[in-house]
Order: sequence, then C-alpha cells, then structure tokens
Amino acid sequence: MIEVRDLTKHYGSHEAVRGLTFDVPRGQICGFLGPNGAGKSTTLRMLTGFLAPTRGAISIGGVDAIEEPLEARKALGYMPEACPLYPEMRVGEYLRYRAALKAVPSGEIAGRVESSLKQASVSDVAHRIIGQLSKGYRQRVGLADALVADPPLLVLDEPTAGLDPNQIRQVRELITELAKNKTVLLSTHILPEVEALCDRVLIINRGKLVSEGEPGTLRGQIAGRQVIRLEGRGARGAFEDVLGALPQVKIIDGPKALSGSGEHQIVQARLEAEDPDAVEIVFGAIAKAGLTLRELRRQEASLEDVFADLTTDEPEEPDADDSDLDEKDEEE
Amino acid sequence: MRATWTILRREVYALFVSPMAYVMLTTWLIWCGVTYWFLASYFVGQQFSGGPQDSPLTMFFGQTTLFYLPLLVFVPLITMRLLAEEHARGTIELLMTAPVTETQVVLGKYLAAIVFWMALWAPTGLYVYLTSVYGHVDLGTVATSYFGILGVGVYYLALGTLMSALARNPIVAAILTFLVLGGLFLIGVGQFLADENRDLFAYLSIWGHMESFSRGVIDSRYLVFDSTVAAVALAFAIGALKLRRIEG
Repeated sequence: MIEVRDLTKHYGSHEAVRGLTFDVPRGQICGFLGPNGAGKSTTLRMLTGFLAPTRGAISIGGVDAIEEPLEARKALGYMPEACPLYPEMRVGEYLRYRAALKAVPSGEIAGRVESSLKQASVSDVAHRIIGQLSKGYRQRVGLADALVADPPLLVLDEPTAGLDPNQIRQVRELITELAKNKTVLLSTHILPEVEALCDRVLIINRGKLVSEGEPGTLRGQIAGRQVIRLEGRGARGAFEDVLGALPQVKIIDGPKALSGSGEHQIVQARLEAEDPDAVEIVFGAIAKAGLTLRELRRQEASLEDVFADLTTDEPEEPDADDSDLDEKDEEE
Repeated sequence: MRATWTILRREVYALFVSPMAYVMLTTWLIWCGVTYWFLASYFVGQQFSGGPQDSPLTMFFGQTTLFYLPLLVFVPLITMRLLAEEHARGTIELLMTAPVTETQVVLGKYLAAIVFWMALWAPTGLYVYLTSVYGHVDLGTVATSYFGILGVGVYYLALGTLMSALARNPIVAAILTFLVLGGLFLIGVGQFLADENRDLFAYLSIWGHMESFSRGVIDSRYLVFDSTVAAVALAFAIGALKLRRIEG
C-alpha cells in the first residue's frame, strides 16, 4: 500500500529524516514508533503530501505521490498530530465540507458523512459545535474526517495522544475495527499501543529506520534476556558488593536505599541477566551474605526494553559511527 | 473548480459566523449612514447644476475619500484569517493534504473575501434608492461607482490575501496588510502634492480610482492596474504555499 524509498528531508542544515526505506503491505496496521523528535511526523507529512521530500520516492497504492500528488492524496485519510479542526463549525457541517473537498460526488456526501459519523461513534454530536467538544470527541471527529471519503489507507499521527485511558481504549478499538478493511499507518511513542494494535512495527530514531518487524519478533531480539527486580533489607553498600560480585547479572538500576538507615535500609535494584538460573544465583548470594530479601521478581523483557535499546542516544560522534560501520563491514 | 467553490463556501461561512464580521458590517453601515446623511443635508436647498458631480451619491462614492479610511482597517480584518489562521490552528495540514491544489486554495479564499466585500457595500444600495425617491439618480454613474469599488476590493483584498499567506498568524497578517495598504494610501496622497509623476501616484490611490469611477467614467487603466496587482499578489500567495511544502 505504501512504498517508501530513500526518503530524506532536510530543514535547512538539519536532517530530520535520513534515507528511510520501508513498505506497508495492504491490510496491515503498521506502527511507526520512535522517541519524540525522531522524525515520525515529518515522515507522515511527506507521505500525505503536506511536505515535499528533499529526496526519495513515495508510492501510495501504486501511485507516485510526488508526480501525481492529487491522485495519491485521494487514496488516504490523514489525521495530523493534535488533530486540528475548525472550532467554529458543527461536526456535521465540517464533515460535509471535508467530503466535498476530498472530491466525494455530491450525491454520496450525505451517505458518506452519515456512515463516517457512525464508524467514529460521533453521531450523537453531529449538531454540536466542534469548539465545544471534549478532546476525546474531537479526536474521533478527526478520525471521522479521515474516514469520510472512504480511503483505503489511513495515516494517523499519534491518534491517542492526550486522551484519558477510557478514550484511548475506545480509539484503539475503533482503529482495530477499521483495520478490517483498511490499511493503517499510525505513529506513536507509546509502546503498549503498538503491542495492542499493530501487526508490524517500524522503529525510527534520529530520522533513521533502526528496526522493523512484528512486535513479537522485535521482543524476540532480546529474548532470553530477563530483567530481575529486587527489594531487600540491609545496608545499601552490602547489596552493591554482593550484586556487583556476581558475573551472571548486570545492574541496570540501583541499588538504591528507599528508607531506613544502617542495617535496616530498604534497598531496591533492577538487574539484567541472560542466564536462565540468574534468579537462583541472586537469591543464593543474598542469603549467603545474611541480607534479607523482600521481593525477587523475574520479568520478561518488554518492547519497552527493545525500544530503549534501539533508540537510546549514544553520543553523536561521526567517528564512532564510522568505526562501527567499519567493524560490521569487516565481519561480513 | 469544485474544490475552489467548496473552499469559498466554507470561508464565507467562517467569516459570517465570526462576531467580527457583524461588528465590521455594523460599524461600516453606521459610518456610511452618517457620511451620507451629512452629504444629503449639504445638498438640501442647494441648486442642482445638473452635472453628475453634483449629487450626494457621486460625493459619497468618490469625492470624500477620507471616508475610505476605515477600509484600511477593514480589509486587513477581512483577509487576515484566510490563510494565516489555518497555519496558526494547524488546519492547513488538513487543507493541504486534501486533493486540492495551492491555486484552488488561494482562489477560493480570495473570492470569499470578495464576497464579503460585496456584502459590506450591499447596504449602500439603500442610499441609491432613497436618493432616487427624492431626486434624480443616474443609474449608469451608480453602476460605474460600484464597479470602481469592486476594483478597489480586487486590488486591496489580493494584497491582504498575500500577507495572510506569508504570515503564520492572523495578527501579523493584519498588521502587514495595514502597513502595505496604509503605505499605498499615503503614496496616493502624493498625487495632490507632487508636480511630477502625478499619474503614477493616482494609480496607487483609491482616491484617484473612485474620483473617476464616481463620475461615471470607466477608466480602463485603473482596471488593468487593479487586476495586474491582484494577479501578481495571488501568484505570490500561491508560490508562498508551494514554498511551504518544500521549506516545511
């Protein structure tokens, strides 16, 4: 449905998007994941034709979006970040206007507006003025707008940003429902959203694609790795010594003292380990040192960890980058 | 064509749901009413020489240009929202990702401003009627007067549309438009001061415009001037939108 090749965008000397190449197959919900400022919105804006790429090719449903922007735009419904709308218009009027603007034939406008109101479950506010609606309703009006011309592709920029948990659930259910007969590309920086919604994830950081695949596969990239949460009572220093001495585990957080003093401090730590028996080893070591254990819990690595792994900013030194590449080349 | 019409309709709607439109229409109506009342009073009891200049309507449309000063404020108020507000609200992203061209967007918005301009002047038709009840009205002169007013609108509103395309928020757009129109108005005053190039000054000033149109003279030079300025300003506005796609 979407084919992107070597997509690049410069704002002056700043490279917001650097050589992105990816496909979104028909019928999938694809999550576009990245930290704030990674270039997600810029990429979506180029896909939807709001911005012209500095370089690269975009094809939407087989139409070259740069050569035939109007045709390409007809195939997609877009909900920009923060969901801007005309506050002075009524919901129904607004959707009729948008339908006409998106070249829906006059005879079909009433029907299309009706069904998009229903799909986005905003029929009850069709006569209300947009400016008086709650954020959740406005977001859904934005979705109705994206749907009104019945495009095969939906591009949603952070569709759940700024909503309360109930509204988030509603919007997610709606997107899942819509995806039954549409392709959806949505951007987010919320990981559970990707795990809950998407068939596929594209992770970008600093304008570059750093990983792509199914949410399951991505988690698999760090499968075998586990995170251990530990809480105990004793001197913080003692915990540090005991845990630091274990070669099988790596301390990722702590140990830090929560309360108390001296021997009665409550200490927490997060550890990372690849050894499947790591929990037993930690338990044994703590017991041997005469410290008290309050909690020891093993967690499976979440997408959260994959994300952190892939997008944590390393110091941006061109030399370091180059040497990395060189090493890879040599390995190959 | 259909997209232009759709944008025009929404824009006219947006203008007329805003309280500012009614403040403007009311203020303008009062202003015109008072001016016309003074002119009509002045003519009462005076002998008509029969020339077209000597009618309160001709005076109203052409000879009392200070009476146009509010337009220097109204035009920026009409045009400031057109594109700048879309930028300020972010709705430009919705507009420009719909299957419409920059030209359709600019034309739709500009024509909406023209429609509002005509609505602003429509009530003055009443003065024509009133004058015709109590005296003689040369309908040809009235027609050319309105034609001249439309010309001024075409000229001023295109500049306002351009400023609205350049600015990213309506207030800035309004200030820019006011400065440009105010500057042109002052240059226009030059036609009374300068010894040379008087014609040049006269083109720029709506004073010169309206003086000739209100006498029933359709001066094609003014029409060419108005439409040229409008075409250039709108072309720049379209260019500005296209540039935004590239510059971001």
